[in-house]
Amino acid sequence: MTLDVPTTVKLASYVGAGFCIGLGAIGAALGEGFTAGLANQSISSDPRKSGDIIKNMLVGQAIAESAGIFALVIAILLIFLESPGTSLVKAAALVGAGLSMGLGAVGSGIGSGYPGGKACLGISMQPTVSGRLTTNMLIGSAVCQTPAIFSMVIALMLMFLDFGKGAVSPTWAALLGAGICMGFGAIGSGIGSGYPGGEACLGIARQPTASGLLTTNMLIGSAVCQTPAIFSMVIALMLMFLDFGKAPPSPTWAALLGAGISTGLAAIGSGMGGGMAAGASCEGVARNPDTIGQTTTTMLVGQAVSQTPSIFGLLVSLILMFKVYPEATTLAAPMALLGAGLCMGAGGIGPGIGNGMTAQGAVTWVARNIEAAGVLTRTMLVGQAVSQSTAIYAMVVSLVLMFVV
Amino acid sequence: MEDLTKIPQFVIKIFGVNLVFNVETIIMSWIVMAALILFGILATRKIDFLPNPFQVVAEFIIGAFYSLTKDALDAKMAKKYFPLICGLFMFLLLSNWLGILPKLSEPTRDLNTTLGFGVLGFFIAHHAGIKAKGFKGYASGYFQPIFFMAPLNVIGELAKVISISFRLYGNILGGSIIILIVSHLIYGLVLPPVLICFFGLFVGSIQAFVFTMLTLVYISVQVK
Amino acid sequence: MAIEGADLVKAAAFIGAGLAMGFGAIGPGVGEGYAAGKACEAIGRKPEEADLLTRTMLVGQAVSESTGIYSLVVALLLLFVV
Repeated sequence: MTLDVPTTVKLASYVGAGFCIGLGAIGAALGEGFTAGLANQSISSDPRKSGDIIKNMLVGQAIAESAGIFALVIAILLIFLESPGTSLVKAAALVGAGLSMGLGAVGSGIGSGYPGGKACLGISMQPTVSGRLTTNMLIGSAVCQTPAIFSMVIALMLMFLDFGKGAVSPTWAALLGAGICMGFGAIGSGIGSGYPGGEACLGIARQPTASGLLTTNMLIGSAVCQTPAIFSMVIALMLMFLDFGKAPPSPTWAALLGAGISTGLAAIGSGMGGGMAAGASCEGVARNPDTIGQTTTTMLVGQAVSQTPSIFGLLVSLILMFKVYPEATTLAAPMALLGAGLCMGAGGIGPGIGNGMTAQGAVTWVARNIEAAGVLTRTMLVGQAVSQSTAIYAMVVSLVLMFVV
Repeated sequence: MEDLTKIPQFVIKIFGVNLVFNVETIIMSWIVMAALILFGILATRKIDFLPNPFQVVAEFIIGAFYSLTKDALDAKMAKKYFPLICGLFMFLLLSNWLGILPKLSEPTRDLNTTLGFGVLGFFIAHHAGIKAKGFKGYASGYFQPIFFMAPLNVIGELAKVISISFRLYGNILGGSIIILIVSHLIYGLVLPPVLICFFGLFVGSIQAFVFTMLTLVYISVQVK
Repeated sequence: MAIEGADLVKAAAFIGAGLAMGFGAIGPGVGEGYAAGKACEAIGRKPEEADLLTRTMLVGQAVSESTGIYSLVVALLLLFVV
């Protein structure tokens, strides 16, 4: 049974649609459930405010739902729309589009649930500021949806632009890699952006006079936390728009796929870690609003160092994309490059999360004990540097796989 | 773009063995050394009650690092190892910042520089450990906490050298590659100067500080 | 492109090395980060004990590095010996 090209393209669009809505439904549901659970907890501590709390819960759940709705729209477009270009390149692009939106919606859905739930808790603690809490929750959740929007943009570009001009063989890997890169890269930043939103909501309930400072701090922290998702989007755009036709197809397909996997996976840990640090800074500012300068500085330093694993992932991706390869006739050479991408990608997850936990501990206690700020920043830097060791081992193995074997 | 990872080299054959010199790295290192010597001369020229700007900066750096060193080691050892720590920090800071100037590149962009400093720190730390605890005490430290952990502890020490060198190398090389490629793709917008500020100044300072602090901490762990 | 025996073994060794170091880096990263976070909290509570706390943190991190080093050793074996 041989498959002709239009049938393969249709097959790919259906598989892509499946991935898209299947993965995309996970995050939105988790986030909404978290919001509902915390709403119930708040109602049990203050039943008279149940009207306000339920209203807040529904608004929060609606925002968390939007990532799932993006995924549904992309899935339906994939099933029913005839897109231009009918070659195997298109098939890979459609699967990539499905993976991009599906994975990208997971993080944003989970992340948007956190501010909603914490806002409900805040209403039960301090009913008079419920208007301000709802506003802050909306702002925080909207920032959380940014990675899902990046993923949707990449998915739409993959579906509707015509990539038929390049040679078939390395271009299919470039497009599939672009989809994987943006998809995985959006998970971490989506989940991470939820922490500052939630802690800011709780902080406004505890300290309503500091609400302006808290919203500003939340926005700064979330914006820096989006950086790994931006790295992923840059790599995805480069994979889509650069011309790899001059390179020999045989090891280059693995290099481009590896490039997508490397940045995509490594961005997960750094996104979550940056978010943990931002959340701790919002909580600290709520406790001691006059320490905001030192707390924000420590948070920024901690976030910058915890983005180092995603920078290593970016570095390996760029080397994989731009290095000149001789033509390979064996299977070993492409597998070495794919292994390099896998190695650095997965190797960036753990250290990113660990660095975020370190920054979280340090920033929390800088806010509580401002005189020890110097010692705490030093210890945080040393602790983060040592826990990045395994990311460095992964980078060493990747470099060996790319340059030595 | 294809020669992203090429290093200009100068090869001399002596007695059948190739001596390879990385020309660019060596010249940039000499520039950093000359700048530091010039800074030192200008700072100590006329030690006056009203200090000139170089003396102020020098006093600030020396004061900060002396208190760091005294926190980690006891007073006599702190006086002995302090020049190493301060000099290491100043060399690394200036090296990481050198890439901002046009036509110049960082000497720490080359693995040889960072690995050299890592091995230097390794030998100094272990020498300090042997002198402080005696050879028997030092060797028995490898058999803690249980007898067959010994090979793992040895590998752990070597892994520390690799991690400290590759961390600095990866951050600086990665930053310069990212700046190069993104500037190549987006000509002339605001983005490249912002990137250069972040990767060159900020990341460079933090990585120089982290390298120095880790060397200090490794020395103090061996000594206690 | 016929896939030969020796070539397939080498290809599998490379993928295995990538998977070994890649997934092996997750655990120590999270664990050492947690240890460092708790050390920062402890120093925040008692800054006078910073030196002892830092040393304890480093010893604990070195022990939890063990499995990361096992992964590195296996990855290097797969790359250079197999």
